[in-house]
Amino acid sequence: MPQTPPIVDIVQASQQSITAILNKIESVVLGKPKECRLALACLLAQGHLLIEDLPGMGKTTLAHVLATTLGLSYQRTQFTNDLLPADVVGFSIFDNETNRFELHKGPIFNQVVLADEINRASPKTQSALLEAMAEQQVSIDGITHELPMPFFVIATQNPLFHAGTYPLPESQLDRFMMRLSLGFPDLKAEKQILLNTSQRTNQTSADSKGNSKADNEGVIAEAELIVMQDAVTQVSVSNDVLEYIIALSHVSRRAYNGHISPVNNTDTITSEISCKPLSPRASKALLQAAKAMAFIDNRDYVLPDDVQAVFYVVCQHRLEMQPNRQLDASQLESSSVARQILNSVDVLNPLGY
Amino acid sequence: MIFFNNKSKKVSADAVGGVKMQTKSKAKSNFDLSRKNAWLLWLCQCLNISVIALELSTWMLAIIALSLAWQALLLHQGREKGNSLSKNKTVSGHTHRQNSRQNSRQGTNVSPIVLGIFALLGCVAIVITAKEVGILASMLHLLCFSYALKGFELRSRSDFYQLLLLGLFVLAASLIFRQDLAFSLITFALLVLTLAVLLQFFSFEKTFVTNIKVVVILLCQSAILAIVLFLVFPRLSPFWQVPLAKSAETGLSDTVKPGDIANLTRSTKLAFRADFGQQKVPNYSQLYWRAMVLEEYDGRQWSRQHKFTRNKTAAAAKNFSFDNSATGVSPLSYQVLVEPSFQKYLFALAPSVVTGDAKGIQAQADHTFNNSKIISQAKSYRLTSYLTAPLTLELTKQSRQLNLSYPQGSNPRLEQLALQLQHNYVDVQARAQAVLNIINKENYSYTLQPPLLKNNSLDQFFFDTQAGFCVHYASVFTFVMRASGSPARMVTGYLGGEYNGVTNTGDNTGKLANKGHLSIYQYDAHAWSEIWVEGKGWLRIDPTSSVDPERVNSGWSTQLLQQQSELNNDLFSLYRMKNIAWLNALRLQFDALDYQWTRWVIGFTTKQQYDLFKNWFGQMVSWKLALIIAVSLVISMSMLMLFLHLLNRSKTKPQSLTKWQILYQKSMAKLAKQGMDKPSSMTVNDFAKEVRQQCPELAIVFTRLSASYNRLCYQTLSTNEQEKLMLTMQQQYQHFIQVLKK
Repeated sequence: MPQTPPIVDIVQASQQSITAILNKIESVVLGKPKECRLALACLLAQGHLLIEDLPGMGKTTLAHVLATTLGLSYQRTQFTNDLLPADVVGFSIFDNETNRFELHKGPIFNQVVLADEINRASPKTQSALLEAMAEQQVSIDGITHELPMPFFVIATQNPLFHAGTYPLPESQLDRFMMRLSLGFPDLKAEKQILLNTSQRTNQTSADSKGNSKADNEGVIAEAELIVMQDAVTQVSVSNDVLEYIIALSHVSRRAYNGHISPVNNTDTITSEISCKPLSPRASKALLQAAKAMAFIDNRDYVLPDDVQAVFYVVCQHRLEMQPNRQLDASQLESSSVARQILNSVDVLNPLGY
Repeated sequence: MIFFNNKSKKVSADAVGGVKMQTKSKAKSNFDLSRKNAWLLWLCQCLNISVIALELSTWMLAIIALSLAWQALLLHQGREKGNSLSKNKTVSGHTHRQNSRQNSRQGTNVSPIVLGIFALLGCVAIVITAKEVGILASMLHLLCFSYALKGFELRSRSDFYQLLLLGLFVLAASLIFRQDLAFSLITFALLVLTLAVLLQFFSFEKTFVTNIKVVVILLCQSAILAIVLFLVFPRLSPFWQVPLAKSAETGLSDTVKPGDIANLTRSTKLAFRADFGQQKVPNYSQLYWRAMVLEEYDGRQWSRQHKFTRNKTAAAAKNFSFDNSATGVSPLSYQVLVEPSFQKYLFALAPSVVTGDAKGIQAQADHTFNNSKIISQAKSYRLTSYLTAPLTLELTKQSRQLNLSYPQGSNPRLEQLALQLQHNYVDVQARAQAVLNIINKENYSYTLQPPLLKNNSLDQFFFDTQAGFCVHYASVFTFVMRASGSPARMVTGYLGGEYNGVTNTGDNTGKLANKGHLSIYQYDAHAWSEIWVEGKGWLRIDPTSSVDPERVNSGWSTQLLQQQSELNNDLFSLYRMKNIAWLNALRLQFDALDYQWTRWVIGFTTKQQYDLFKNWFGQMVSWKLALIIAVSLVISMSMLMLFLHLLNRSKTKPQSLTKWQILYQKSMAKLAKQGMDKPSSMTVNDFAKEVRQQCPELAIVFTRLSASYNRLCYQTLSTNEQEKLMLTMQQQYQHFIQVLKK
């Protein structure tokens, strides 16, 4: 392995910045270390993040602090049902002085785009954003514009049972690498939040204002982030872990096969799990996210632990048949389809089922 | 070939998974067969047994049906239990697993004692009846009995294998009794099904249809080996006695009484085939296939001459030859392929001699042929016939007497008629013609459903009922001729046959064709008479021709066919088949295929094998033959070994656990003894944490061990590093053991 030393070096060199970033985020989003790590992992794995929770749980705060700590250009767009695709992407306007069309870039031409309450916009606007996410480029009036690198979309959405929401279709949910849910803070954290709000009214008001280069400087530089993202892709994956990921997705597909043909009905040992099958894109995302987790954990190789850590957030929104968001997030996770699938696969001998 | 490799890898990977799982949970020995597989296995059992059902006695069938129904019931109950459980399940993984175990077939809770007693009773019954049914049949009973009972105790994987193997044995055994193409195809299909059930057990994430495809492909690949074995493996004669129980069902019997053959004609089974090669097939009305000559009449039925007298006459006629008759008469040479009839008689057209291999064929004085053994396998022989040549010209005193005798006073009215005729017509042939005229002119009818006769009285038939089948007319005619003082005898056999020209299937009258064969079915069975005329020998007279000429000239009339299909009450009766053109064409095609199958595959006997070797390797010496067989066996075996070796190698690669895996598994086993089981879905790190909580004194050593294991397993290391780390891990393991002992 000729390129091993560089990765090991990068991993070790990056540890300091990573702890710094995490500290920074955790100081703002209180009492949620796990979610913060996951969000960072998503960013390092070059995936897009969907945060779903009730209003006022700190979704926007998390998105905001992520963008600022990484020193990226950032713009927030509040999605409403009358928002048009051009409002997101941008448009050309005729300039009388120069007699030319001039491009007015929309908020999407930022490195971090926060799409707030994405499921309140009409499907047309949603798909404009999601197309940009997939292609990393937008076309305005027939001219293709590259989006800046690194490009990272954080979308937040309200739970689907809220009034005035257009649920994202599965195909578009699939574009998000992770779906996070913050959940209620614990006692200690909530106390601190209450204390903090009275001290830092400035910052919260900056949130609602959109484009803000507030008090924080970025902890790392843009170039360093790109180096880290590159390093993440080079984290080594052993055959066993690959088989583990394959086994996980196979378990989810077994029920689907049964669903199609009545012959293969759902009475084999584990296929009672009723879920949507995981696509190869999902397993790719799972692998990438696991790599990022390993990287954050100061390792240059992936462990099954990493896969397990990210499995719920990466796969649950691709698996579930009907979202049921009434329960508390932690309660949900323990009984979710994702957990069932994890339980049915042997870690040491994945393909043996 | 590439595809094949992939497949074997996949299968082996599955198998490896299975093996690993088994070693891990040996103590529990939980053998889970999914519901669908269990039902498939059950279906497989039912079908396999149904193939051989005809050979089993009724009580055995009843027992088997009972136990299969019981198994089905248990399966069904298991399902209900599973359903009710899954309704109120909480979705945690643990109850989930329990659930699936409830669902599985091992839930069949028949106590082994009951089963044991049941099995013992069955065996006793088999032993008791063994004498009656013969050794082969009782062995078969035992096989099927165990096959049906084995389904009750599917506790481990080896039970599952045994059940499937038994199924394959049952299929193989069924081929002892029938070998025709249709049956072989059915057996092959069932073989595929059985193997697919096995495959389905290992790769159940695939659909059953894909598994069947895989099995078919694998079987086709193994066909090469099968062909080699087929060609070179020494043909051993069967060391069992094929039972004779079926003789009543098919074919002609030694004795015949009015009404007998009419029953036989309901059967559409094949009797034999004749291949005339490039020669012209004779007219339908000349195709009198003689099987038996019945010379004794006791007033009720016709039977063959007693054995000892027959032997005498046969000896007298031994030196009979055709030299004189061959002049001026064109010979007709053909091959006959007899289906197993479980009788000894063979079929031949009027005067004929056996050409070619005459081993085991005995020519009789009355120009019929007998096989020395009962025909239990398809047999072929070549004959040359001289259709227009007269049969035996001389009549011994003894046989003259025999062919004139009849019980006096058994049919007084006919005797009277005979005397009258004797008075009116001096010439024998004219007298015969007179009888035929009576039959032709009076209101006689030819029917498959003749009214029953009291004591088989010919009087009653001839004067009252006046409706009968060929045996009736032949009987009456022979009787009248005998009563009027001219020797006459009854001949049974087959008339006609269906021409199957593979190339021009549309034409089944068979007069123009140059290639094809005749298929003679049971419904072609016929009886006719022969009378002795001085100077002309035995002449064939068929009284049927004067009541229903169509039967003799071209086969069954539509009226008869209709009658037959009504009697059979069969959707696929011949009559209906013949009416639908494409179906008939299809039937003929299949018949042609079946002919080739019988000729080349079933007819491939020791002699054919010998000839083949002779063709390939020149003059055969016994050592050469032995050498060829040995070499080809060695080659095919080594091919098999090579294949198995390759399979094993690809299997051992992933199977051979790495050193660190073995070490970790050992330590896991040690911990399991302490009551700390690692759930399979738990990662190594999480388990280490768990251990730390449960027994802190082990924490440090085990965590270190786990960390080393993780690195060895998941990190990409150079071999050097690996060895070093392995050493450390071994040391850590020693530490771990030491701490554990304390």
